Amino acid sequence: MRKADIIVALGLMVVGLLALGDAVRLGFGWGMSGPESGFFPFYMGLGIVISTFFILLRAIKIYKKEGSGKPLIPEGGTAQILWVLLPAIGVVLLTELLGLHLATVLYLAFYMGIVGKIHWGKVILLSVLVPLVVYVLFDRIFLIPLPEGIWGKNILALIPF
Amino acid sequence: MDILSNWIMGLSVALQPYNIMIAIVGIVLGIIVGVLPGLGGANGVAILIPITFAMSPTSAVILLACIYWGALYGGGICSILFNIPGEPWAVAVTFDGYPMAKSGRAGKALVLSFLSHGVGAIIGVILLTFFAPIIAEFALRFGPPETAAVMVLTFSAMTRLGGKSALKSLVAIFLGFILAAVGLDIVSGKLRMTFGTVPLMGGFHFIVAVIGLFGLGEIFLTVEEGLKMEGVKAKVTLKDIWDGLKDLLRFRRILIMGSLIGCWLGIQPGGATPASFMAYGFAKSSAADKDQFGKGASSGIIAPEAAGHGAGTAATLPMITLGIPGSPTMAVIMGGLMIMGLQPGPMLFKEHADFVWGFIGSIWVANFLGLILVLAFAPAFAAILRIKFSILMPIIIYVCAIGAFAVNNRMIDIYYMIIFGIVGYLFKKLDYPMAPMVLALVLGNLAESATRQALIMGRGNPLIFFRPPIALPLMLIALFLFFWPTISKWIKRSSVKKAVT
Repeated sequence: MRKADIIVALGLMVVGLLALGDAVRLGFGWGMSGPESGFFPFYMGLGIVISTFFILLRAIKIYKKEGSGKPLIPEGGTAQILWVLLPAIGVVLLTELLGLHLATVLYLAFYMGIVGKIHWGKVILLSVLVPLVVYVLFDRIFLIPLPEGIWGKNILALIPF
Repeated sequence: MDILSNWIMGLSVALQPYNIMIAIVGIVLGIIVGVLPGLGGANGVAILIPITFAMSPTSAVILLACIYWGALYGGGICSILFNIPGEPWAVAVTFDGYPMAKSGRAGKALVLSFLSHGVGAIIGVILLTFFAPIIAEFALRFGPPETAAVMVLTFSAMTRLGGKSALKSLVAIFLGFILAAVGLDIVSGKLRMTFGTVPLMGGFHFIVAVIGLFGLGEIFLTVEEGLKMEGVKAKVTLKDIWDGLKDLLRFRRILIMGSLIGCWLGIQPGGATPASFMAYGFAKSSAADKDQFGKGASSGIIAPEAAGHGAGTAATLPMITLGIPGSPTMAVIMGGLMIMGLQPGPMLFKEHADFVWGFIGSIWVANFLGLILVLAFAPAFAAILRIKFSILMPIIIYVCAIGAFAVNNRMIDIYYMIIFGIVGYLFKKLDYPMAPMVLALVLGNLAESATRQALIMGRGNPLIFFRPPIALPLMLIALFLFFWPTISKWIKRSSVKKAVT
């Protein structure tokens, strides 16, 4: 966990430096009629850089003294997290192609069927039913359009309603 | 007496059939959301904001707030029956709630939790009803320096209240402000921190951040320990309710103290979680049967639940009167109001009095309704958790993705949501508090414009922020809150050195 602390603190410091850099580009002093664009981001970025600097000092000190400490992700946790994260990224990428609802049908079917090992009848029922309900609710009743993807519209048009 | 007539008017708005129906829908959704991990109060409200675009502002805010009250009631269910806190402030109730449930008194534990929530809510909303107009009057005298000073006070209090490391809280706050600044700067028309990319031009919307941080992040946390949802089965019988009422009377001192602690801390941002722990500690230290604590002591449930709900309700007060949300969920609700064109703050009381009082009336109605609903249907809500996780989880992520997309109709927001989810997970593990970051994201633009205007008023002189009579004490309190722990540590260290020599 201590290594992760150091890495995250470094990452945040980079964000702060990015903000500082852009603030310098925009100008952070007193403009024609008031503080310039970069004024606020400059001090916020400065604040992060200074704070993360001290966090890094403390983290490195503890690391040198006591070693790595507990692991960031407990035993077996990484697999579990990846099982959530990767399919989630997958369904988002799939949405670009097929649209949210069709992608979700596949996502739900995959997760319930393969990861959850649920009876295939229930899987098919739920994977179709849930996105259908959401489609009716959001696209028809609330009139909030959800992503259709590149091919989604064409595939949906094949369904006769 | 003006307050009384306003209150009655507010109640009459809240009691309209349409609004009652909305309230019930909101409460039920809220209880479900509070019960499920991965969909907390802040998250649930954020996802449903786009739906409210089609409603009138009063009904919209009733729906959003009712989700909040429902989630407050529901958070206890998960803690008591499954030993898994559905919300951060619900951790304290697992200490005695789960043991009581395991020893066969689950129904009583649930009743104690719900009734305590109810009392906490009542005390909170009484406070709100009577103090809101007074504070709003007072806040009318706020100019930009005062607004900026309140912001400084808010964030300095959050730095000390939230989590262990003040440095990490500061980082969270600065990060939130930077994220808020990405995109178009309205005042100068320049693009900030977009680095030439088109998606970044739109900036980061707090709804997307909240769904990612509190939603996905929570799911990652739940999943990493391979938690299995095996809970205690519970039924709530009339005898349980009777027993619960008796205990409430018996421990009425602790009940009132818990509610008051909750209300006091709830008014300050970030307050519900420390409030519940503080109330639990207070109940334990002043109890006659200390060794019962941890094994299922009634007051061990009463105190934190009353505090948690009192804090949640009291968090409305600074939001409505000053525009400073008292909790992350309240920040989301406030964001929703801003989207609808209503700027929370003293002007809201003046210009939209019927809206404000309708809202306050709905808090009264909703909390009573919520209590009845949750007493009657708790086992049904608890049964939701018994649905296989591999069914629940993808559906939750699906709903989160919809919520993230619906804000601005952009795919990139769903990607941001995933990134925020990873960030939320890392932050939680490494003790970076998320509430200050969300608050900074919601308040960022307001804070920045207040600071800019104040500086223009003071012609670049930072002393404008210390102008009496209002800004000065606020800034002094803020500086005190911020530096006192460091100073007292130095004093202690030097007195120890003196003692050693």
